[in-house]
Amino acid sequence: MSLVLRKYVPQTIVSIIIVLTVVFYYFYVSKEIAGTFTTADKALSDWVVIIMSFALIVGGIDILRFHLARIRREGMGQAPFSTVTIALLVLMVVFALHGWYLSYADPAAGIAITTQPQFRWLYLNVYAPADAAVYSILVFYIASASYRAFRVRNPMALLLLITALIVVFGNTTIGGLIWPGFLPLRDWIMTVPNTAAFRPITIGAGLGVIILGLRLLTWREISWMGRRE
Amino acid sequence: MKTARGLLIPVVVIALVAILSGVGWALRIQLYSPKTPFSAFLILVGLLTAGYFFMTEARAGKSVPVRRIPAFEAVEEAVARSVEMGRPVHMTFGFGTISSSMAPQFIAGLGVLSHVARLCGKYGAKLVATLGVPEAIATTEEIIREGYYSAGRPELFDPTYNVRYLTDQQFAYASAVQATLIRENVGANIVVGPFWAESLIFMEAGNMVNAFQIAGTARETQIPFFVLVADYSFIGEEIFAAGALASGDKETLASIRGQDVGKLLTIVLVILGVLTLLAGLKLVDALNWAWKVG
Repeated sequence: MSLVLRKYVPQTIVSIIIVLTVVFYYFYVSKEIAGTFTTADKALSDWVVIIMSFALIVGGIDILRFHLARIRREGMGQAPFSTVTIALLVLMVVFALHGWYLSYADPAAGIAITTQPQFRWLYLNVYAPADAAVYSILVFYIASASYRAFRVRNPMALLLLITALIVVFGNTTIGGLIWPGFLPLRDWIMTVPNTAAFRPITIGAGLGVIILGLRLLTWREISWMGRRE
Repeated sequence: MKTARGLLIPVVVIALVAILSGVGWALRIQLYSPKTPFSAFLILVGLLTAGYFFMTEARAGKSVPVRRIPAFEAVEEAVARSVEMGRPVHMTFGFGTISSSMAPQFIAGLGVLSHVARLCGKYGAKLVATLGVPEAIATTEEIIREGYYSAGRPELFDPTYNVRYLTDQQFAYASAVQATLIRENVGANIVVGPFWAESLIFMEAGNMVNAFQIAGTARETQIPFFVLVADYSFIGEEIFAAGALASGDKETLASIRGQDVGKLLTIVLVILGVLTLLAGLKLVDALNWAWKVG
């Protein structure tokens, strides 16, 4: 029974969904039949939302488990980071529950979980700036990665450097002042060689997905279920 | 004889499609979607049957040569190097979920994880898998457990240490992965799956600790970052082949040949397209033909 539940049932569901997807995409399906499946599709989408919500609870428990174990194992060395994480996690749950309570206790106020004042304050004043800061770090990483990548160690690296310089100068106003030809050259690089390199990758990825689908259909791809047997 | 038997199912499938289409056309039945090019369906059937043919050939015992993927072969080197240095191996597969269009890349990431977990079991390496999707926690735990147990090293499996769900928010996840790479001082950083702007953050953090880096994605906008910064990279469809290579199963491996047939077909179509264009015809018009009756 366990093997049936753990292996055959999920694989059968995946196979059926793959076949149905292909049929609905390539074959003509009457509006009545399509309507029936649209209802089923909506129900499945709702299930996904519900499962994801429960998965988030599992995720929260996992975070709690990890940080509690870390405080116990590594002592005070790691305690400040883990303590702050746990405290904020608990705080967010408390604020969310408060928002949920307010939405029932005082519906006229129009407060929901996400609009609970403290929850919202933390989101706008702690989370959003921190998120933007991490994103902005990317600029410096691009610079440091470019420095390493564009060092001329062989003819190919020299070609890469020349191409990069043309694109960089083509994208800046100073490039146009130095030589007006940078802009059309950049456009040519982006539309011809760049597109020629991107398209085979996109087509190759599509082919890879088709063959992955074949392995899923023939029950040879089982890594997504966790265990091999 | 074996080849003939292997060809049977592909021939039957193609014959069925041909008969169905012929009868449908003769009776003027709207069999196929009028919105989708009919050639796309034929190419799909052709590729699936080609892949299946190679799989049956492998099942019959025939040797089906499969191309090498350097990034896949480098995984063993990365794990062994980490063990020599006494540092853990880190693996992450992004925060694309199994319920989105990124699911194939997510599954490919799981395939690579199973290979990494088995190698960690074999060499006795510590593995840290960081997650950005909560629904993958159970699967990841199972894969790592299986990797350590099958190598006879159950004592190395510690779900609290091995599996770390961080968050499903993009830059919070990027920041936490970055912190994990540096605090754990990882010896190998293996990053395979769907990635967005966080890809370079992972690579640069790995570089700061001098980790051996292997990266792969099918998202073409992130591939250049991986190619430039990682020691080895899976480019595009190679991440899908990695799952088959990780399985070590001949039949599954043979399916990769189907991908190669698809590439060959694409090259032929491109050449034909150029030639027909030179002759004043447009091949794309024929390829875009949709089944419309009445």
